[in-house]
Amino acid sequence: MDSPLIFQDFCLRKGSFQLKDISFSLHTREIFAILGKSGAGKTLLLESAAGFYSPHHGQILLYGHNIHSIPLAQRKIGFVYQDYALFPHMTAEKNIAYGLQMRHIPQKEQQYKVNEIAEILHIREILQQYPQTLSGGEKQRCALARALILRPSLLLMDEPFAALDPLTRKHLYAEITTIPERFDCSILFVTHDFQEAQQLAQRIGIIIAGRLTSIRKAEDLFSPCDDEDLNTFLTISPTH
Amino acid sequence: MNSEPFSLFDALCIGITCITVCFIAAALLTIIIGGLPFIHQAILSPEILFSIRLSLTTSSISTLLCFVCAIPCAYALTHARMPLKRLCHLILELPLSIPYLVLGLCLLMLFSSDAGKWLRDVGIRVIFDPKGIILAQWIINIPFVIRLMYSAFSEIDRRLEYIAISLGATRWQCFRTITLPLTLNAIVMTAVLTWARAMGEFGATLMLAGVTRMKTETLPGSIYLNITTGDNGMAMAAAIMLLGISALTLLTASLLERKKHSHTGMRYT
Repeated sequence: MDSPLIFQDFCLRKGSFQLKDISFSLHTREIFAILGKSGAGKTLLLESAAGFYSPHHGQILLYGHNIHSIPLAQRKIGFVYQDYALFPHMTAEKNIAYGLQMRHIPQKEQQYKVNEIAEILHIREILQQYPQTLSGGEKQRCALARALILRPSLLLMDEPFAALDPLTRKHLYAEITTIPERFDCSILFVTHDFQEAQQLAQRIGIIIAGRLTSIRKAEDLFSPCDDEDLNTFLTISPTH
Repeated sequence: MNSEPFSLFDALCIGITCITVCFIAAALLTIIIGGLPFIHQAILSPEILFSIRLSLTTSSISTLLCFVCAIPCAYALTHARMPLKRLCHLILELPLSIPYLVLGLCLLMLFSSDAGKWLRDVGIRVIFDPKGIILAQWIINIPFVIRLMYSAFSEIDRRLEYIAISLGATRWQCFRTITLPLTLNAIVMTAVLTWARAMGEFGATLMLAGVTRMKTETLPGSIYLNITTGDNGMAMAAAIMLLGISALTLLTASLLERKKHSHTGMRYT
């Protein structure tokens, strides 16, 4: 089976910033973290994974097909932004049902699916509320529900826990780790939090100044290497 | 800031503000005081009533037509890939800097040409006709509406539209369900201001439709006719009506603006 997502020598220039020679692949039902400092190019890389930008060089393959040859609506990608980007003029229920509505799914089925996913993500009681009245954790769950209701093959998350308190974060960690099996999808998320990356992901890609310098298993995140920049970023001593 | 000592610069600014306020208030009060004794007579005058009716009708139609054209134009300029976009943008906004009288002259020349004559022959009469008033109001307002719609569409958080499309919305569905509702406040406010501008339009209308009593006589046209015939009282009474309409639209726009700010906790317009 083709890998859900492959970056092949991907280069992108946005203003004065550049993503350089990004190459990695995502495994089926894997959680992969992109770890980097602010301004390292994490969000740009994630948006590139959604196919928002055409590369200057290289390509991105989604299940073996160039992502830009697939219309945005047919990519089966769910996207959760750092501030969740919920539609502010719609209730949580309307936000979650949006994708189903656009696909002309019958009203009854929409209702059933919304209730089902709301039950899974524990947000049944906030369905009639508008995003402005929701807490960070509720917004997060609502954005997840909106993305997951269409059963995406790939879920992209941009610093999804950055605005949450430690307790809510802990609860959501537990829920996120069950998503790949439960919804049969892979997750690519970006974070600047080492612990978060290690706790959630099986593999971690480290991005420094637009370059994916290393891909490591979560348990080997802090293993020293010869790359001075990488060691400095991970604040570990070099091998020699 | 309030605890800081009073400065000479502050005093100068306050002085200039007071002088400006006094000058504008004096100008308005002159009209109001002079026109009030004639207001009853004006309300009963068939000519003034005709001009109010004509102004209300033409302004409403031209405002609607402005939006029919401006929304697609602003959307194309902000969202679509189109050739010569910058040039198109420049041409669409050019009338903003052209005197209304000149715009009216342009339309007059255009509709006096062979193409204009052909339009007249097939029943679309514009020159010296109420339809010309609508067209004149449309041309002076269209660049203004495009500019306001352009900034409203530009200010939308584009990620919301990306998400909508990634969730399966077509461009049209995305526009209908995300872009349009999120710019609704801006649209309503622009409509109010556009309508008020159309109500007060005179220069382009004069060139294209002329001012013929009880035919192409709008409220500003009525003021002009009454002044030229020496009936200053009726002119001032008509001006009070126009002032009232302007004040009402300004008040509506301010209320809408306040409502917009109280609703926009998030960045979405």
